[in-house]
Amino acid sequence: MKPQPSPANQHPEVRRFSTILALIALMSLLGVSLSSSTAVAAAPSLTIVSPADGAVVANGTPVLVDFLVLNFAIVQPGRVGQIGSPMEGHANVFLDAQYARLLTSVEPFSLSLTSGAHTIRIQLVADNGTPLNPDVSASVGVVATHGPDGGAPRVKILSPTPLEATGHGIYVSYRIENFTLVEPRGQPNAPNEGHVQLLVGTDVVMEVIQYEPVLLVSLPEGDITIGVRLVNNDDTVLANPSASATVPIHVVASSAVSLPLVSNGGVALLLAFILIVLILRRRKLAARDANARGGNP
Amino acid sequence: MNARIFALIVAMIGMLVASGIPASNGRGAPVPTLSIVSPTPNAVMGNGTPVAVVFAVTNFNLTEPGNGTSSPNSGHVDVFVDGALTAKASVNTIVLALPSGPHTIRLRLVTDNGSALNPDITASVAVMATRGPAGGTPGLSIVFPREGALVGTDSTLSFRVTNFVLVAPGGPAGVPNEGHLLVRLDNAPYAVLTDDAPLHLNLKDGPHTVTLQLVDNEGGPLNSNVTASLHVTVQALLGRVTPFDATPYLALANLLIGLGILAALYRKLEAR
Repeated sequence: MKPQPSPANQHPEVRRFSTILALIALMSLLGVSLSSSTAVAAAPSLTIVSPADGAVVANGTPVLVDFLVLNFAIVQPGRVGQIGSPMEGHANVFLDAQYARLLTSVEPFSLSLTSGAHTIRIQLVADNGTPLNPDVSASVGVVATHGPDGGAPRVKILSPTPLEATGHGIYVSYRIENFTLVEPRGQPNAPNEGHVQLLVGTDVVMEVIQYEPVLLVSLPEGDITIGVRLVNNDDTVLANPSASATVPIHVVASSAVSLPLVSNGGVALLLAFILIVLILRRRKLAARDANARGGNP
Repeated sequence: MNARIFALIVAMIGMLVASGIPASNGRGAPVPTLSIVSPTPNAVMGNGTPVAVVFAVTNFNLTEPGNGTSSPNSGHVDVFVDGALTAKASVNTIVLALPSGPHTIRLRLVTDNGSALNPDITASVAVMATRGPAGGTPGLSIVFPREGALVGTDSTLSFRVTNFVLVAPGGPAGVPNEGHLLVRLDNAPYAVLTDDAPLHLNLKDGPHTVTLQLVDNEGGPLNSNVTASLHVTVQALLGRVTPFDATPYLALANLLIGLGILAALYRKLEAR
């Protein structure tokens, strides 16, 4: 019969076994912990899906910004009992470095833009508003315009027609395509927007923002050239040749100008005719009287 | 045994703390706060663009109005513009379209049923809205005709305004970078312009002075007076080609012939 170990001798074996089990459990926990910490530690990321960098935001419409956030929960800051977490917070939106939005959800939002280039930046921040470490932000540059998105600006003079004889005041009508007229207020240049300059010869005589015909007055008499051209907000002429148009015309004096001359000449002729008739009749009567006296002295 | 009970109590307290119950809407909950992050006080909102009001709250859960649960630590924000309820916000940004002029935006935390908190929690900010640009110095220049030009009776004056928007008179006072344009002809009021369309002039012969001045909505000069003047000389029939104008000679001939007719008639009557 095999002798049984005494309880005093059993304890070290139990302890050794327990220790091994504890170590195994500890290693397992460590492994789980490490694997889970790898998942938790995945860095937050932020991507602006739309608009694309350098995109043109046309027709004066607001820009719709769509973005994507990974490994970061977007929540309302300042909730009751909120405990800050490095993987939780909200997003701040800056338009040209000016605070524009505080986002508490990952949903597209719109921004109104003035004409010109703009930078939209979204930054993830913690619940208390401090930037993450390292900073997680995304930027995109866009160009806003009141004009259309594409197409070459064009202008065509509809009236007067080439070599047309006109008076000293004429309406110039034109058709503009792919270009939007805006008031020049000193704002930055933007694609396909600006205003119109009218020229007589090489002189700019008018700047307008109207699509309707424009009245030009006191045109010099003779052969002249009328020009219409599209210019940027800062008055620089568009490089596109079809953004300028000219038409040669012949300015002549109106009938109203020559009326005094004609009327005075006509009256002079009439009076001269009356005078001649009176003189001839007088001579005829004088001759008749002389004949009468000669026949009957 | 006592140690086990104590450990159990501690564990329960720990679970409660972990579950966040003590931080719920109980009587001991901290008082909510409200602050406006943007715009800054007295900011100028230019170009007629809507103003984005960004606010921050603490110890307050923003919920969509009408979700049915009212508590002193949850609800939404009532937005007042110049004292009038304008919008309700359950997110931290609200976009408001404001007409030109000074405005006061006031936010108030309210419970879901719309009642104010006790004590009332509000935040206000004053802003100035303008259809003109938010910054920059207004400028004015005359594009055509040039200084000292000789022009015809009918002429057109083209001008350029920068960093300023022309609007109809009668708007609110003190709005930066918007107003209208006064035209003076020989120091006498001539026209009020509210857009950039060129000005048509019909002037008598001789020298004239045209002065343009930017004024605010009340018709007063801007803080830094912005004017542009032009001296022109008007000459009728300018640009007309008249190689020989016989009109005065014909008029003299008419007079002489008329006298001749009268003389002829007189002699005829005398002969009878």
